[in-house]
Amino acid sequence: MLKWVGAVVVLLILVAVIGLSVMAGGIRGAYGMVRYALPHMHRGTLRVGDDAPDASLLALDGSSRFHIRERTGARPLVIVFGSYT
Amino acid sequence: MQIYKDYKDHADFLTVYVREAHPTDEWQMKSNVKEDVCYAQPKTLEQRVAIANDFVKRFNYPTQFGIDDMGNGANDAYAAWPERIYIIEQGRIAYRGGMGPFNYHPEEARSWLAARYGEVKREASTAVPDKKNN
Repeated sequence: MLKWVGAVVVLLILVAVIGLSVMAGGIRGAYGMVRYALPHMHRGTLRVGDDAPDASLLALDGSSRFHIRERTGARPLVIVFGSYT
Repeated sequence: MQIYKDYKDHADFLTVYVREAHPTDEWQMKSNVKEDVCYAQPKTLEQRVAIANDFVKRFNYPTQFGIDDMGNGANDAYAAWPERIYIIEQGRIAYRGGMGPFNYHPEEARSWLAARYGEVKREASTAVPDKKNN
């Protein structure tokens, strides 16, 4: 019995590794995804209709600051989050 | 950034720089090497500012731009990493985009704006939405 359980676990791990490798473009990518991406990926709890959270941001000049809330007015505000890489 | 060009007369746009998704010292992508976008994960706010400025200059990026603190307050509040789009209207979330990269769909935000302000016809050469040209 223990032998079969072990075989199933190994099979599941193998399937997971293959699946992640396909998604991430290889074994190295799969490692990168598990090690560096998954810990930072969160679905979040915000829903349409919720109050928009505020946050302080630094401007490109590196010294002045503003709040997201300051940029919301009569018009909709489209916020695009991202990085360079 | 086509969506900005098409709807800047109707909506405001704010881009927020959050922690790098594929830095050289973490999960680097071959495409970033090919495109010469090679940066280590910033350890200081000054490093984030420098990378954000490189990005804006390289793409002549037109929108308002803000940089998240090293405490990642904006990122945490919006579950933003690695990329995500929201639309805020009258202080509330009006549109919540999916988590990138797999559920990052700028065309959904575009549809929201189109439903509100009408579709803007685009030229074929500028119609391809992606991370840097949505």
